[in-house]
Amino acid sequence: MVPITHFLYLSAALFLIGTVGVLMRRNVLIILMGIELMLNGANMALVTFSRMWGRLDGQVFAMFVIAVAAAEAAVGLAIVVSIFRTRNRSDVDDLSMLRD
Amino acid sequence: MMSAVELTFLAFAALAVFSAIVTMTRSNPVVAAVWLVASFFSVAVCYVLLSATFLAAIQVLVYAGAMMVLFVFVIMVLDVDESGRAEHRRPSPTARAGYFAAVGITVGFLIWVLTGTLARQYVTYGPPLELRDFGSADSLGRLLFYDYLFAFESVSFLLLAAVVGAVVVARSRRDREKEAVLRGFAGTERSAAGLDPDDLADEVLGHSPVPAHDFGAPSATGHDGGT
Repeated sequence: MVPITHFLYLSAALFLIGTVGVLMRRNVLIILMGIELMLNGANMALVTFSRMWGRLDGQVFAMFVIAVAAAEAAVGLAIVVSIFRTRNRSDVDDLSMLRD
Repeated sequence: MMSAVELTFLAFAALAVFSAIVTMTRSNPVVAAVWLVASFFSVAVCYVLLSATFLAAIQVLVYAGAMMVLFVFVIMVLDVDESGRAEHRRPSPTARAGYFAAVGITVGFLIWVLTGTLARQYVTYGPPLELRDFGSADSLGRLLFYDYLFAFESVSFLLLAAVVGAVVVARSRRDREKEAVLRGFAGTERSAAGLDPDDLADEVLGHSPVPAHDFGAPSATGHDGGT
């Protein structure tokens, strides 16, 4: 049997990689992929604890997270399309209208 | 001697982490998206090892299927920068130092907290499962439609709102101007909505002298260019 903690390490590693990607990258699309990776890490933890306690609630939560992630990806990509129409770029550096 | 389950877990966990790292380091978003699919598949295998079979299927269908198609479609439509030039543009030495310091502190804290909590976890193999069909669509659906019905309906509304919002946000300015003119909004109303107050050219509205659907007479050899 694989210990539960190994799954949690995997979850933490995925979350960490996603976080670093979101912080380090400039391409909006890659940043969105980093957010997906973070959500995947959170899902992994939910499913792991669901198995640990022998209850299915964690898996239901993971399904909700997947649905919310799909909605987030749709809206996020629509925003990217809209930004690309006006700026013709997809770097976060170009999106400083609110700051200036 | 490792069992087959342990070998499977190690192989696919390593693949998940490796492809996640590759995803975050590629400059070409298309390549990154394909590696992200590999990561999602590996995570789905780990779900199976946790006896979450239905969730593994959902993961492959929704993440690796629908969402990646969305990503790749947007990348293809947008003609994005694939050279990664933007990654090498840094504001100033001071800002760069602060930037890397912030990333380092964030990652350091995350690693500290995660290893600090995980290393103290009681390693358990989990209790023996009471439900025989743990993680199946049947048992998951029962829970979803009895205990979490309200949340389920809320999520369906959320998805509807996301679809409508995505369509509204992604529509081009030209489309919105066209619709405003077609609906008979006056110029002042259109400028109040942030649109171009001037009337659009006739061709935009489909009033051009040549009908848009006139492609010329059909010919035996195929389409000859129309008018």
